[in-house]
Amino acid sequence: MKWTRETLRADLVALFGHHAQEDIVVTEQSHLVADLGIDSLGVMEVIADIEDKFELSIPDEALREVETIADVATAIESKLAAQGRLLG
Amino acid sequence: MSSTRVRTLVEAIEDAAASTKTGYRFIEEGSQTEPFFTHGGVERASARYGGALQAMGARKGDRVALILPDNADFVFAFLGAIRAGIIPVPIYPPTGLGKLAGYLENTLHIVAKSGAKFLLTSAEVKRMLGTIQAQAPELQKVVAVEGVRSSREELHPAKVTLDDTAFLQFTSGSTSRPKGVVLTHRNLAANVRAIMEQGIGIRDGVDAGVSWLPLYHDMGLIGFVIAPLYHLNTITFLPPLLFLKRPARWLEAVSRYRGSISFGPNFAYALCVKRIKDSEVQDLDLSSWRVAGCGAEPIRAENLQAFADKFAKIGFDQRAFISCYGMAESTLAISFSKLGAGVTTDAVDGDALWSEGRAVPIDPASPRAAPIVQCGAAFEGHEIHVFAPDDETSETPLGEREVGEIRLRGPSVTAGYFNETERTQESFAGGWLRTGDLGYLAGGNVHICGRSKEVIIVNGRNYYPQDLEWEAGKVEGVRKGNVVAFGTLKPHNDRERVVITFETVVTDEAAVQALKGEVRRVVQQALGLTVDDVVPLAPGLLPKTSSGKLQRSKTRELYETGTLLGRTAPRDADGVEAAKALARSQLGYFRHALLGGKKTEE
Repeated sequence: MKWTRETLRADLVALFGHHAQEDIVVTEQSHLVADLGIDSLGVMEVIADIEDKFELSIPDEALREVETIADVATAIESKLAAQGRLLG
Repeated sequence: MSSTRVRTLVEAIEDAAASTKTGYRFIEEGSQTEPFFTHGGVERASARYGGALQAMGARKGDRVALILPDNADFVFAFLGAIRAGIIPVPIYPPTGLGKLAGYLENTLHIVAKSGAKFLLTSAEVKRMLGTIQAQAPELQKVVAVEGVRSSREELHPAKVTLDDTAFLQFTSGSTSRPKGVVLTHRNLAANVRAIMEQGIGIRDGVDAGVSWLPLYHDMGLIGFVIAPLYHLNTITFLPPLLFLKRPARWLEAVSRYRGSISFGPNFAYALCVKRIKDSEVQDLDLSSWRVAGCGAEPIRAENLQAFADKFAKIGFDQRAFISCYGMAESTLAISFSKLGAGVTTDAVDGDALWSEGRAVPIDPASPRAAPIVQCGAAFEGHEIHVFAPDDETSETPLGEREVGEIRLRGPSVTAGYFNETERTQESFAGGWLRTGDLGYLAGGNVHICGRSKEVIIVNGRNYYPQDLEWEAGKVEGVRKGNVVAFGTLKPHNDRERVVITFETVVTDEAAVQALKGEVRRVVQQALGLTVDDVVPLAPGLLPKTSSGKLQRSKTRELYETGTLLGRTAPRDADGVEAAKALARSQLGYFRHALLGGKKTEE
């Protein structure tokens, strides 16, 4: 499958929405831990979901400096682009 | 069993080198190859890493901090340092999620406290550590491990004796005051023998282990790197983050490599139940798994039962479970439940347990019954007794089924913390190590009811309330020094709930909501754990002792009984009841820890 920057972000926001604490509005700027209340264990679950959805693998190093959903999007973009699956 | 002579780890590495069939296998994420090193290969690789450390200038007795995300790097560097007589100080790698500042601070404290002259890490982490060198006075070099991998430097083996320090385990203490447990080769040999021979009846050269446990933690490092060298067992390692991401990979490895021994904290078994789909594991065969250890955090029998129920159809035998009690100060293990018996619980009268501190047997079907997990008896040559927490000399052990502090003596027990005379003294009473855990003995078997230390354990990791309180205290509007953090166990959950309470003069509803959000945000960001509840209180409502010290246990008790928010009386009223309340609340705490499930689900 292929994504544009916009559909990628929309899909990510939706996906994180499933994992965030209740009553929390998820946006691209949401900080995974501080805003969404996703702990390190929860993040690994989300990452597994992301890998499945976007059919790619995200190495541990890629996560070390990730703080927000936008950071995750950036990390995925470069992967998708390298595989020719990023449109626009 | 075979090992009659007490050997240093150095001797164990050298002796194992003759084995051509056994060794370590490293599963790597995103790689189809699973490199296997025979014990001979481990000996050679560790010699190269040890030689490289010596070439940097490290000498016997020097400390070298290891922050190595790659399992193979870690194992070879750790064993290489040991063979050179250099004292490794394992430190966990950064896990990301934006808590880098807190990570750097913690790492700096450990590096400084250990007096490490060298820090070996990956190029990537080295970059993240930035200017750490400037802040740790004794740290001379930060070296990237990539250059060491191809090192051709020769190891000059050091003369290492049983009473030399093998390594420092920095696992306890709050972020700002980490404590390094000193372990000698004699401690290691004693504990390895207890675990392998008495605990799990190891079959030398035959039993095979599988471990995803982090290697900077005692269970992964001593249990699966060190102990197998003494008994020639093949171990398959998975990266910890791979297990957290895809728990099925753990069971796949057990199945594929016919693993007979694998351990995990309670949460790991719960995670498998929650996350693994039947379709992921339907073709696996877990019938080889004869020892499934559970330890490192409070054990909840119902979590293990759910695991056994879910995976019985692919050959998991619930009798493989052993309940393990341990702590870094006792090298790793203190006691294991009997092999082949599965999880055993002792049904005691909950009312008598909490009100009188006595574990009176009761019909398990009784509504008053509290099931306490049994963790077996002291290992040969070791002693476990229970004492009143205020017994400073350990002269009067409590009787059978009387609840008190568990204390230990024996060759696995550390001599103390590195460069911490005072805190070492505080940890012993009359020559017995104070575990800080509350429990009782019945028929010589240890039963843990809770802990008197106020550590919050989430997913097998320790968090210190002081660290949470410190972070929360930074938020404007929170009365500094009037913050209490604690953990509480809820029945429907397999982890502790983290609660932060604080005093504030802010009363406007919207402003209070904003303040709560900010406290949650700041703490979550700094420590990387989820805060479940934030409770603002008017000034004077947090319970304090007459000397003005905050009472965490009391606060937790009030929270659990739902009376914290209803409090209007000033805290002066608490003074008289303080001591009694403290004892009660500690018991009340483990009542929740162990009984919680029953109490609210009925």
